[in-house]
Amino acid sequence: MLRKLIMSTALLGLTSSAVLADDVLLSMSWEDIVAQAKEEGSVTWYQWYFEPEFRVVVEAFEAEYGIEVSIPDVSSVDDAINKMMAEQDLETGDIDLMSFNGSSGLRLTPSDLLTGPIQPILPEGESLETFVEGADWEEYAVQFWGNQTCLAYDPDRLSADDLPDTFVEFEAWIAENPGQLGFNFENGGSGPSLIHNIARGILGVAQADTLAETPDLQPVYDWFIENEDNYILTASNADSLSRFNSGEFIMIATWEDFIAGNINRGEVSDRFECYVPEFGLNGGGNVVGVAKNAANPAAALVLASWLTSAETQTMFNTDFGTSTANGQADSSAALVPDEDRANKTVWGDPLPDTDVVPAVIENVFQR
Amino acid sequence: MPNGLRIILLLTPGLGLVMTLMIWVLYRAFAQSFGLYNFNGDDLLTLSHWQGMFQNRRYWNALEWSGYIAVVSATLAVAVAYPLVIWLRRPFKGSFLLSALIKAPYFVPGLVAAFLLINVISYHGFVNEFLIWIGVWDQPVRMQNDKNGYAIIGLQVWKQLPLAFLLLSGAVAAIPDNVLHAAQDLGAGTWDRFRKVVLPMTVTAMQASLILIFIGAAGDFTFQAVAGPTRENSLATLMVTYQGASYSDWNGAAVIGVTLMVLSLLGSIVFAALVQIVAKLMERV
Repeated sequence: MLRKLIMSTALLGLTSSAVLADDVLLSMSWEDIVAQAKEEGSVTWYQWYFEPEFRVVVEAFEAEYGIEVSIPDVSSVDDAINKMMAEQDLETGDIDLMSFNGSSGLRLTPSDLLTGPIQPILPEGESLETFVEGADWEEYAVQFWGNQTCLAYDPDRLSADDLPDTFVEFEAWIAENPGQLGFNFENGGSGPSLIHNIARGILGVAQADTLAETPDLQPVYDWFIENEDNYILTASNADSLSRFNSGEFIMIATWEDFIAGNINRGEVSDRFECYVPEFGLNGGGNVVGVAKNAANPAAALVLASWLTSAETQTMFNTDFGTSTANGQADSSAALVPDEDRANKTVWGDPLPDTDVVPAVIENVFQR
Repeated sequence: MPNGLRIILLLTPGLGLVMTLMIWVLYRAFAQSFGLYNFNGDDLLTLSHWQGMFQNRRYWNALEWSGYIAVVSATLAVAVAYPLVIWLRRPFKGSFLLSALIKAPYFVPGLVAAFLLINVISYHGFVNEFLIWIGVWDQPVRMQNDKNGYAIIGLQVWKQLPLAFLLLSGAVAAIPDNVLHAAQDLGAGTWDRFRKVVLPMTVTAMQASLILIFIGAAGDFTFQAVAGPTRENSLATLMVTYQGASYSDWNGAAVIGVTLMVLSLLGSIVFAALVQIVAKLMERV
């Protein structure tokens, strides 16, 4: 007890004048980190979606630890990342805990922005992922949100028995139903996931393949140009969903958690279903990491631990329709059928989406 | 103390601050476009970001698109404003109300207007449902995010019309009645009075209207993001795209930002010159 008291007092002194050094925090026992977190008493979490829902969710954390959680309104993950980058040279920034979309790790250097590695010291760290959406977060951030892109369809207009499953069936379906498939290519990853996997389908690239280099994408461009009348480009994930809900489309590319969340809030019809076709759609997730210059690093770490715990992940699966990010959690309540999970593909290799999607945009959509 | 120095000193507290802040922002944008202030790595003075953009089709498309929207919007807004200004030149019963209605768009945020328009013209929006109901067409027509940008041009004209109206109404009202009457007495019809009297005497206000609307429309983000065609980017939306997590290319975004400033500057100069030339030509014809 005396040791904890001395440690807490010493660390409080440190944090009052400067940011808690990484190595000091990371060398502490978990009990000491929790004690330090309680001393800090508050934590600011930058989370760019479902902020009102998360403010309710973290009430359980606040009750358990006595740590107040502040979740400011954030316009987008880009804005949050930009703020974090702009503040990276400050001694103490506004952000304690930060959510990122997994793929943003492809363009960021986690150790520049985040305290870590944190995965080894999290109590349930062994059940968590740090390699998300093709990006290696090097244990500086861990997945707290599992998501899967899927094709949402209206069962009143398309029977589950008639769903196109293989790429050939998909091609035939959009040709028979011109203008009934909507997807975005920017402002959300669901459309890019479809574009990415269409490219894999055209080029015959399977998830298990290894490519020495990116093949010629001309057949992909040709396919999108030839089928231009068969699909509709939307402005964003949200635009796809609102137009789908109004009956403009029979099928859209979307995120499982996005449509589930909107169904739970009553903003779109609860009759909609979604599935992952055999030719694959990308799954991934969002990660959380503790800002390198966090004012409340221990509280941020404890909140990260709570968010990624099996118990919280099971609750996310039930309440938000996420796929779970903790191997010990129960994932039975998701919108995508369990058997479709085998069709999940990833954003990176083979044929990384970063090679395909910008090229398709430049050579097809905005040629 | 020399007079010039005294003027500079007097202006420094106000203008000096404004200039310092402006120059600092411009410098940052220019420097970033050449590889400095690099958020994602080490600073490196280089032309590669400009070279990369020059080879990027999206960059040229966005430049062309922003130029097109700005030119058409500015020209249409001024063209619509002129007859209204001339009509409302002298007060009549109801002219105050009409004038207020023309200025009303100034009080409606552009984002709200854009979403309202989208709601009205969407696939199952009011326009489609009404036209189906009266039998004009059998099934909904996709008007949202039209490829020619008519929706954003319409929004720009609607939003910018009050600016053109305010600038032109002062100039038109200042034309003495006896000048117009004299022209009429000498046999000038409505069109001749417009091109030989009104146009030359309001050319400065027209230039100001065109330039201000051009700059505003060239830098548009909101209308393009909400109501613009999905296959096109304005320079502003492309800049934000490149700043975003999909690219995280702040240096490339700075190139686009500098291009937008250059487009505004060059567009203004060209517009001002063209207006002078056209006004002189119309006087002679």
